[in-house]
Formats: sequence, C-alpha cells, structure tokens
Amino acid sequence: MNTIEVKNLRRIYRATTGVIRRKVKEVEAVKDVSFDIKEGELFGLLGPNGAGKTTTVKVLATLLIPDAGEVRVKGLDIVKDANEVRKQIGFIFGGERGLYWRLSAIDNLRYFASLYHVDPEVSKKRIPELLELVGLKGRGDERVQGYSRGMKQRLHVARTLLHDPDILFLDEPTIGLDPVGAREFREVIRNLQSEKKTILLTTHYMFEADSLCERVAVIDKGEIVALDTPSALKKHVRDLSVVEIETFGIDPKVIDDIRKLPFVDALSTREQDHRQLLLVQTERGAEAVPDLIASLEGMRIGRVTVREPTLEDAYVRLVGGKA
Amino acid sequence: MKFKNLIVYWRTILRVAEITLRHQWNDSFILFAILVQPMLIAILALFMLRGSGENYAMFVVVGSGLTGLWSSLLFISGNSINGERWQGTLESLVAAPIPFEVIIFGKNLANVVQSLLSMSTSYLLAALLFGYTLQMSAPFLFTASVFLSIFAFISFGLIIAPLFIMYRGIQQWQNAMEFPVYILAGFLFPIALLPNWTTPVSYILPPYWAARALHETSTGEGDLQKILLAWGMMLIFSIVDLFISSKLFRKMLYKARVDATLETV
Repeated sequence: MNTIEVKNLRRIYRATTGVIRRKVKEVEAVKDVSFDIKEGELFGLLGPNGAGKTTTVKVLATLLIPDAGEVRVKGLDIVKDANEVRKQIGFIFGGERGLYWRLSAIDNLRYFASLYHVDPEVSKKRIPELLELVGLKGRGDERVQGYSRGMKQRLHVARTLLHDPDILFLDEPTIGLDPVGAREFREVIRNLQSEKKTILLTTHYMFEADSLCERVAVIDKGEIVALDTPSALKKHVRDLSVVEIETFGIDPKVIDDIRKLPFVDALSTREQDHRQLLLVQTERGAEAVPDLIASLEGMRIGRVTVREPTLEDAYVRLVGGKA
Repeated sequence: MKFKNLIVYWRTILRVAEITLRHQWNDSFILFAILVQPMLIAILALFMLRGSGENYAMFVVVGSGLTGLWSSLLFISGNSINGERWQGTLESLVAAPIPFEVIIFGKNLANVVQSLLSMSTSYLLAALLFGYTLQMSAPFLFTASVFLSIFAFISFGLIIAPLFIMYRGIQQWQNAMEFPVYILAGFLFPIALLPNWTTPVSYILPPYWAARALHETSTGEGDLQKILLAWGMMLIFSIVDLFISSKLFRKMLYKARVDATLETV
C-alpha cells in the first residue's frame, strides 16, 4: 500500500516588485512531480539547489498549498485534511534553527510534546528514551545554545519523534554536519528505518542516498528526471568512465570549452581548498585523457585518474552535468 | 467542541505559558517593557501628583500597571508570531495538530501575567518610596476584575498578532499606538478630562473597560452597577475578539501557506 501519493504536483512562488508599477514575478519551483512511497520505505529525493526538493517536502508537510496536483498522505488530502495529516507526520529541515535556544533540550521537548497531543505521563517517559536514542543522554538539562550543530540536529530528531509519527520527512538533515556527526546521524536514520517508519529523505550526498534509500527520485528544475533503485540508477552510466583531473586555478571558460568536446558526456567540478577537481564522464575512458590534457594546455595539472562511475556520476548525468 | 479537546487545549495553554515565561525571562527588552517602563511612569506620575491623596496614589499604581499590560500586549504579544518566524520555530508550531490560536493564547497569557508584575512593583514603589498607605477598597471585586482584564487583554492580543502579520502597514504604527491608548483608556487619569469627542473611541477599547473596572474596585469610587457594566463590556469584547481572531488566524495561516511566508521574514 502506498503511504504517500504525489500526482502532478505543481507549485509556483510569486514575488511582487516595484512600488508604483507593481509587477508579479513567478518562479515555478515544482512543475509536474509524481511519485509514490510505500509503507515502511526509505525514499530519497535528490537534486541540485533550487530543484524543488524542499518545496515538495513542505507541500507534503502541509506547510505550503500546491497550485495544482493531488497530494495524499495515508489517503488523506494534505489541504483538506491538513490537521489529520499533521498527527501522522514529523519533519526536520536542515540547519540549526527551529529550537528555543534559551531553553534546555528537555524543556524544548516538553513544550513540543504538549503541542503534539502527547499525554504528560507519556512524554515524561518518552523524553529520556528519545534523548538516549539520539545520543543526548545526560545533556538534556543543558541550554540548547551551548549545543553543537550536530547535537541540535539530533535534538530535532527527538522533537519530531515525540508523537511517534509513522511518516518522517527529513530535508537535508546532515547538511553542515562534520563527518562524524553525519555518520552518527545516518545511524539514527537506519534505526528509524528498522522501526518501519516511512521516510522521505532529501540529500545532496549520493553515498548517503546509496547506502540508506531503497528507491531514489532525481529531481531537476521542478521535474522528476529519474526514479529507481540506486543500483538501477547506476546503470544509466554503466557504459561510461569517469576521468578525474586535479587542476589549480582553472579558468571557468576552459571548463565550458571542455564541456563542449564531442566525447564528453557530462562534466562537474569540485572545489578542494585551492584545487579544482574536474570529473569528466566519457565513453572513451582512458583514451580521452590525452585530448583532455591537451585542452588544459598551459595550466597546472595534478593527479589524473580514471575510475568506474558511482551513483553520484549517474546523478550528475541526469541533472545535466551541473552539480 | 469536545470536552476532551478543551482539557487538552487548557493543558497546552498552561504549558505554553510556562515555557514562554521561562524563555522570556532573560530578554532585556521584555524586562524593560514590563518592569522598568511602568516603574518610570509610576515615579513620574507619583511625583507630579504628590499631595493629591491616597486614592489618587492607588489610581496611579493600577494605572501604571495597566501601561505595562498594554505595552506587553502591543509589543510582545503583537510580535509573537514574528518572533517565532525569526527563530525558525513557526513552521513546527503551524504543523502541530493543536490549533495555532491556542498556542498564541498561551503565549499571551504568559505576557499578560508577567506584566501584572508591573502593578506589584508600582504598589511597592508608592508604599516604600512615597510612603503611601495603600488599601484595596474591594479586594474580591478587584481580583475578579483582574481575571476579567487578563481575559480581555489576551483576547484583544489574539486580534493584534494576526493583523500585524497580514497587514504590515498596521505594524508600522505599533509605536504610535502605545501612548494614545494610555490616554484614551484612562490608565493614569479619568477620560472625563479629555474632549468629549474622544469618549466613543475610548468605549470601543477593551483596555478602557479593564481600566475602569480595576480603578473602580481599587479606589472604591465606583458602585456595583458601574463595575458590572465594565465586566459585561469586557466579556462582550472578549467573546467578539475570540470570534474575530479565529477567522483571522484561519485566513492568515492559509495565506501564509499560499504565499510561502511561514519561514521568510
């Protein structure tokens, strides 16, 4: 049975500019998005910044009204039955905000428990359990303002589990966390998955989606461009190889020139301190290296490697090599 | 509305009020609005009216407390929704199954109750600094007036908060609305001293009826009929305000979900 059903979702943002001649500027954040999530499934939504991931999650969380389409959570319409939907869901949006920093973690949880109809007797028992689950045992009496980003993020998880929702929306929950914090957080998500929660996870990190999600939808410019299991998505780039070239202070115009080369399927860059790593997807594999080096003539080049594609490479190809 | 819901709402209101009080207690602006400013007003008024008698001192004590109540309502309750938005907590509150106005009711309760402190500090000032022996003429009627005033102020605050969100033009006049209400509601002197044309304006202000009930029961200058009229007016205004605010909240929340303004400032 499908717990979440999204059909032809469309959402436009309107901004008014000008004082005398007022103009309405429209941005179509989500154009035509459809997907279903099964009960107990961990579903990933991947896409570059501005692709429409957060907008989709906010519509599902009843925080935005869609312009068109049908969105149902456990068969309930998210506009007409918003209050009933809210009892079934929990959500986390990435970042540190959304908590009362001058209060302790326990006070924050007591407060949100009362807003989510949690009986005081139940919350008295559940709050210590949740603090233990998210690794904040013994720190609950401290004010949130002294917490690290990772601790705040884990407190968000405890907050969202207070009323024991069956469905969770996690919007880039590991963004900004250090590697250890992110790994601990992924462990928390795995625990939730084992409790048969239905989870929608949006993330920038492909390995996160690869290791956690059963199915992944790639969204770009407000549209779903692919939807499958991580292993099936990798097949999109099965015939390709990835050439990684380390450069120092490369001119953006040169990157554009390489992107236009006939044998280049997709290209993305990654900044690493003062270096830029070019990731070139090509069917020619190692044979493409001399031509690529030639197009970088006069520039300082470091390490060059050729490797098998990953889910991230599949994602780069699906979103047009812009990542 | 089911009885069980009422219990849940009331429990939520008390918890929200408790947490709001604890959260706000470290905010220096709030301490200024509810303690320092009314104290300064009380000192000023008591100096100006030295020799006017003990009754007038009681009038000033209650009146300066009312200034604290009004400032708290206007600035703290009026900005309560924006405050949540700045902290990034508004989305979690809106997405909670409890009606949003119940949460704001709890926050307003905290603000109104804590601003009653200003009345107590003014009382202490008058007694300790100016040597007045202040006696409440009708303590039971005064207590009942305090409870009705709390309800009237909270209900009035429930209209102000969504209006400030939906019509930012009104919020720009927030500062300009503070002192005129001190005057028109008769906090520190009777409105009989004002020109006649201002009287109808005073009558449509719930703070005026609260001030009247509190002054008349504390100084003993009003008869029971006048007190009952003030109570009745407060009750009517409170019911009307609650009705209007429920419509305003529904409209505001729907508009915020359409305009995507729950997160943005």
